[in-house]
Amino acid sequence: MTFNFPRYILRETGHSMKRNPWLSIASVLTVMVSLVILGFSIFFLANASNVAQSFESQLEIAAFVKDDATAVQVQTLQSQIQGMTGVASVTIVTKQQALADFGKNMGGSQSNLVTDLGGTNPFPDKLTIKATNPQDVENLAAAISALPEIDTVRYGQGYVDKLLQFTKWLRWIGFGVVGAFSVASVVLISINVKMNVFSKRREIQIMKLVGASNGFIRWPFLIEGLTLGLLGGGLAALVVGMGYNWITMYIQSTLTFLPVVRNVVLFRQVLGGLLLAGMAMGAVGSGVSLQKFLHS
Amino acid sequence: MIQLRNVSKIYPNGARALVDVNLKIDKGEFVFLVGPSGAGKSTLIKLFYRDETPTRGQVQINGKNLVRMKEREVPYLRRSIGVIFQDFKLLPNKTVQENVAFALEVIGVSRKEVRARTSNMLELVGLAGKENAFPNELSGGEQQRVCVARAIINNPALLIADEPTGNLDPETAWGIMDLLFNINKRGTTIVMATHARAIVNKMQKRVIAIENGRVARDEEMGGYGYDV
Repeated sequence: MTFNFPRYILRETGHSMKRNPWLSIASVLTVMVSLVILGFSIFFLANASNVAQSFESQLEIAAFVKDDATAVQVQTLQSQIQGMTGVASVTIVTKQQALADFGKNMGGSQSNLVTDLGGTNPFPDKLTIKATNPQDVENLAAAISALPEIDTVRYGQGYVDKLLQFTKWLRWIGFGVVGAFSVASVVLISINVKMNVFSKRREIQIMKLVGASNGFIRWPFLIEGLTLGLLGGGLAALVVGMGYNWITMYIQSTLTFLPVVRNVVLFRQVLGGLLLAGMAMGAVGSGVSLQKFLHS
Repeated sequence: MIQLRNVSKIYPNGARALVDVNLKIDKGEFVFLVGPSGAGKSTLIKLFYRDETPTRGQVQINGKNLVRMKEREVPYLRRSIGVIFQDFKLLPNKTVQENVAFALEVIGVSRKEVRARTSNMLELVGLAGKENAFPNELSGGEQQRVCVARAIINNPALLIADEPTGNLDPETAWGIMDLLFNINKRGTTIVMATHARAIVNKMQKRVIAIENGRVARDEEMGGYGYDV
């Protein structure tokens, strides 16, 4: 039977973690805490941009058609606007529909309403236009109001600017939080890994003196770093997963108006990402800090 | 086996540990290295297993030039040299058995053979029954014997011993000397730095005295030579 290196690595890794239980626990906890914060910050970003998007999607342009336009003209108008660049959708709200909606909102019946209004329908035909990009709303509105058949255009003038400013900031804050916590967790974990390897520098030196090659020393350390990182990342994924699930369920049942992101794909990606990040930082961090001691 | 030509070692802090040392030790020799503390014995020994490289001059071990040696060749050199360290250098998180076994695992000996050879070796150095103890649970003398066991377990061509009897009672010290003597008889070259006058005087081997970084005396069948 020859020497079984993989088996040796696993045995060494196990021994090392078992015989330094506090160091191992400290490493796992450091990785876990950093990644929990990072995980929640990613979901914060997702929700911030979701809120921003839902605000923006409510932006629309209402174009009122001149009273003398025929139904055919209105339809031509619709396809004309549809053809403009940056337009996502154009829907027609006819006078009749407008009246009916109004009636419904008022709680009365339509016939009564027409009579009450003196036998005429005061509502104009309306086109509701959604822009592909909310930034374009203002320019589109200007272009549409220039059309001869259009009477007036409303799109929340003045309010749009402020809303877009707000959603822009919301997104930047989200990115800022994720960026800051990414840096923080990388720093925190790499300091921890460095301390871990540093505490073993004497052992590394002894191993070298007894004739161990760098590879022989490196592998058990890498696998140990990887295992501790994986444990930390796994625990972080568990905490973030269960925590986020609980928080969003709570919000959905109490603050129903607040849109929360419950996207299974995103959920899996973030949790998987945390797991991988822990593993990678554990292994790469160990490798990099080990290199310094191996060549001293 | 060992050849030093015009070797000088000056540490970065300016300390001149060795000055123009010329030395030749043949295969199979048993050499005592004596001299006052701080004379340069430890530095000289460290040159042999390339823990230090000389500032000037050449070091040759077993026909290999240690000054020109590449870093990745160093482990192979060290596997052919057993070192009994003055401060033992045991791995604190490994048991006695694992510490000794490490020297064999490093060269890729199978598990079964490692187990058989380590338990023989531990018996030989009188540590049977202590296999699963950790170094910090052992006395100084016991730790030293673990170090001895690790140094000789893969039958090195050269055995370097830095004060191998320093922490031992006379009886155990002679036990270790018997062991070294037997290993030497099987052909292993031994260089032993020591302050143990009685041992040096009794063994009647080659004695090299180092003083102020220079070879002050080199005689066959010599004595310790310092009166304290």
